[in-house]
Amino acid sequence: MGMAGEGRDSDDPTIPKKLAERFSYDLRILTYGVTQDPADSKQNPKNNFLQIPHYLGGLEIRPDLRLNLDPVELSAKPRMKLEYRAWQEGFRKGDAEWKDDWYVNEWLARWKARENLFLSYGRENLQWGPSFLFSPSNPFFQDNGRRNPYLEVPGMDFGRLVWIPKSSWTLSFIANTDEGQNKPDGPNRYFISPPPPFEKTYSLKVDYTGRENYGSVILSYREHSEYLLGFFGGGTISDAVLLYGEGVIAKGNEGLYPQQDSSPFGASMQKLHQNDVDTVLLIGGSYTFERKGTLTMEYAYYSPGYSNAEADRYYSLRRKAGEAFELGGPLSGFGQMVLGQTAVTGLRLLRRNYALLQYTQTNILNVMDLTLRWTQNLDDGSFQITHVVGYSLGNHWELFSVGAVNAGNGDSEFRSILNYQWMVGVKYTL
Amino acid sequence: MNRQHPKRLLIGAVFTLVSSLGFFLPSLQAAMSPKEILTKADEARGNADGVEWEIAIESVEGGRQQQRTIRVTARGFNSLAEFLAPPNVKGQKLLMLDRNMWFAKPGLSKAVPISPRQKLLGGAANGDIASTNYAGDYKIVETSEGLVNNEACYLFDLSAVDNRATYDRIKYWVSKERLVGLKAEFYTVSGKMFKTATFEYENSVKIGGQPRTFISQMVITSAVMKEDITTMSYRKASIKKVPDSIFNLNLLTK
Repeated sequence: MGMAGEGRDSDDPTIPKKLAERFSYDLRILTYGVTQDPADSKQNPKNNFLQIPHYLGGLEIRPDLRLNLDPVELSAKPRMKLEYRAWQEGFRKGDAEWKDDWYVNEWLARWKARENLFLSYGRENLQWGPSFLFSPSNPFFQDNGRRNPYLEVPGMDFGRLVWIPKSSWTLSFIANTDEGQNKPDGPNRYFISPPPPFEKTYSLKVDYTGRENYGSVILSYREHSEYLLGFFGGGTISDAVLLYGEGVIAKGNEGLYPQQDSSPFGASMQKLHQNDVDTVLLIGGSYTFERKGTLTMEYAYYSPGYSNAEADRYYSLRRKAGEAFELGGPLSGFGQMVLGQTAVTGLRLLRRNYALLQYTQTNILNVMDLTLRWTQNLDDGSFQITHVVGYSLGNHWELFSVGAVNAGNGDSEFRSILNYQWMVGVKYTL
Repeated sequence: MNRQHPKRLLIGAVFTLVSSLGFFLPSLQAAMSPKEILTKADEARGNADGVEWEIAIESVEGGRQQQRTIRVTARGFNSLAEFLAPPNVKGQKLLMLDRNMWFAKPGLSKAVPISPRQKLLGGAANGDIASTNYAGDYKIVETSEGLVNNEACYLFDLSAVDNRATYDRIKYWVSKERLVGLKAEFYTVSGKMFKTATFEYENSVKIGGQPRTFISQMVITSAVMKEDITTMSYRKASIKKVPDSIFNLNLLTK
């Protein structure tokens, strides 16, 4: 039993049998219902601009396929999504529609050129870093997938070269060649903010892992716009305590800022800081209790975000654009254009100072995982409270619930789009 | 001529030789230092150069039962544990690079750093699934003798060399005859015993071309709640060269 190098069957297996031995798959099926309440803010007056459905129902089939033909590995994640949407507010009140989506969210071809050298191309959800709030060091994805783990982050196309010269060091060259599924009308369009316009981005990433600490530096160039120096690191301070930090220094800010001018609304959204150097810094730490969960705290400073004066101009412009859009007069079309700009500013966050407090506990009574999160905008006072609960019903079935409640006044970041969103569903794993 | 006389001499000589081996063998083992004995015992519970095995974990905690099957690839202080069963945990991965740990789950966008305090399952700690290196991770404070199931043992009192070790202090019974660990008691910094473990060795692997007995089971019992028992059954064990790429976060999820 367990003897290494035991003799194999002397009959040479056929090629189909060999392929079958090297093929593996997983299958997950999710079905869920979502109820969400669009905020009646000037960004989305009476839900006529963003037209957010009040109810969503979804069925997703998620097979993950893998074929290991050492030194080549192939994988694919084709997806089928059937979605039902119903509107309760605005022009589309009473509307309902079905939509089906068939797409490959991720796929990968990886070649092990040597034991320490790998080349790959494919569609990936390429994430890194220790932070929960967002991942400033990642130049590719705005969404780090942490808010709702039951939604898949849409993949983008990457070519990668990964070289491991020593066990503690890794060097990666990454080329983000296409937006893939990460587009404004992508599979998660009703759950996350649309991504900014795609530009090819190239990165050089250097990773170091020590005894009880790790660090990475990422140098990136986004075509026609930005140079970025991302970094993250962390350490195991004790059995219970982790500390970490993450950030980016960026030159070339493509975000939109409100500028007073002679436009019909007295201001317009413009790219004002394209030659600026911006810094984003996030620090965090976690403490794991004995036989209980983990408490995590983070603080982020986002220098490209609006100052108080800029925020006042932004909300004023948004109010005027929203009112023009609502009235339907001669400035309605212009108002609609401005609302499009105020909805997608190109900035990850609207303001400068944020905090996060999170409690996570897994395997409660052997059946439940729980995450509670409080995200605070320290500048405008708005906040979001999120829960993520997974409850196992045996070895294959899981009930889940993900909810977010937003609080703040009408001219605040978290209350701009939704008052609340609640997803409840069932997942089956084969 | 008495032809039986040389034959009797020969039988007597052989008998004397075989009997004296019983004196020589313990003497040979007694010539091994405590650290060498501990190293030998470690070989039966993993190998610093690289090992891969499957572990079926059955945990009873507070009357509730839970099972997991994990494939572990380990080398030195690094290990990668991939959950194979049941289906609702299949594909989850726990990566340990010395004192750094990450947890990755299918559907989770990125691996999450976790602290050493986060438990694997039941009474099993993350360090219990990887190969053992007591000889390197602990210093021998005291050596004495003991018995486990009527088997004569060396009893080592071990203290962690640094915070890499999973436990602060261990009392470890190693069979004198087989040179494998039979029982362990695990202590906190304050000196409180919080769990015990017993070991069985019905597996066999080749080390240096020679077959060697290898761990087949570890049973962990809580010292506080005696009904809380975690059983780890090791199977499909093989000693192999493990490349750095196995432990690389950039290649972990696919």
